[in-house]
Amino acid sequence: MSDTDIIDQLKQGSEAAFKTLVDTHQKLVVNTCYGLVQNREDAEDIAQDVFVEVYRNIDKFRADAKLSTWLYRIAVNRSLNHIRDNKKRKWFHSFEDEVAAKNREVMQVSTSNTDEPEYELENQQRAIILREAINSLPQNQKVAFTLSKYEELSYQEIAEVMDLSVSSVESLLFRAKKGLQKKLYKCYKKKCL
Amino acid sequence: MKCKSVHNKLIFFLEKELPVSEMEQVQKHLDECSECARFTAEMKNTLQILDNDKVNDENPFFYTRVKERIAKQAEEQPAVRPVLVRILQPVAFSILLLLGVYGGFKLGQAPKANIAGSGFTEQEVIPYWNELEAEPIEAFLMK
Repeated sequence: MSDTDIIDQLKQGSEAAFKTLVDTHQKLVVNTCYGLVQNREDAEDIAQDVFVEVYRNIDKFRADAKLSTWLYRIAVNRSLNHIRDNKKRKWFHSFEDEVAAKNREVMQVSTSNTDEPEYELENQQRAIILREAINSLPQNQKVAFTLSKYEELSYQEIAEVMDLSVSSVESLLFRAKKGLQKKLYKCYKKKCL
Repeated sequence: MKCKSVHNKLIFFLEKELPVSEMEQVQKHLDECSECARFTAEMKNTLQILDNDKVNDENPFFYTRVKERIAKQAEEQPAVRPVLVRILQPVAFSILLLLGVYGGFKLGQAPKANIAGSGFTEQEVIPYWNELEAEPIEAFLMK
């Protein structure tokens, strides 16, 4: 079933069409959210909200637009809202909570079944550093980088999702990579890598 | 090519986004400089995490949860508030806020009492508060 068929049937209230839409685009939405919020549970939670929004606003969907672009946009906006709300909440969280959360993340891997626990632990620490570095990027750079790395979208596709020109996306990705490189080098110098 | 220049291009080198000539220059430097080669390996390992850090498995209960959420939201949808409440409430709050600001300005501009004219100057009032000044310790001991 093509996207156009799904949309047409969904506008007529077909449950089967909605199930097809969710099943075919679930990974796309969850991955986009995950790339931005960096937490699987939160990503699934936001992705569910994305599909609820699609269900409610399907009549507003323009026939000439691409369904995936619309889904990416909603997913990005919802994820950014989630990050913003979380930042506000973090004001009231203690530093100890933050440290405990980080330790839990590391322990999760160190206790998992693996033949090379040390290597896994090292990788987990690298992942935390990389996430911190990505999270510290300016919002637009982070969105462009996530869409490029997690969804492997082309510059043109990212430009459509972000409503920017291709050259702006190029520039955003260039600056994002430069920023990441700088942060990783700093970390390497401080021996935290 | 210097180490600093290599560090600036490393991420683009690893992503194979540099022109061929620059790729060769960076590679040549890495073959000669062990420190840069070590950082390159570390950076490569770190960036590779992104390739494995994707959600590849689908949650089989995802659709059911979406449907549950839609049903729940439909139940919880509050009755539409009357237009008067929706408009009157913000208007009332705005008026209160404006009155507060206006009151604050008025209090700030209130005429000041003429303290000097009331007959008490600072010099006259202080002795009553400061006993030492009113009666020095020497005079007290002399008594």
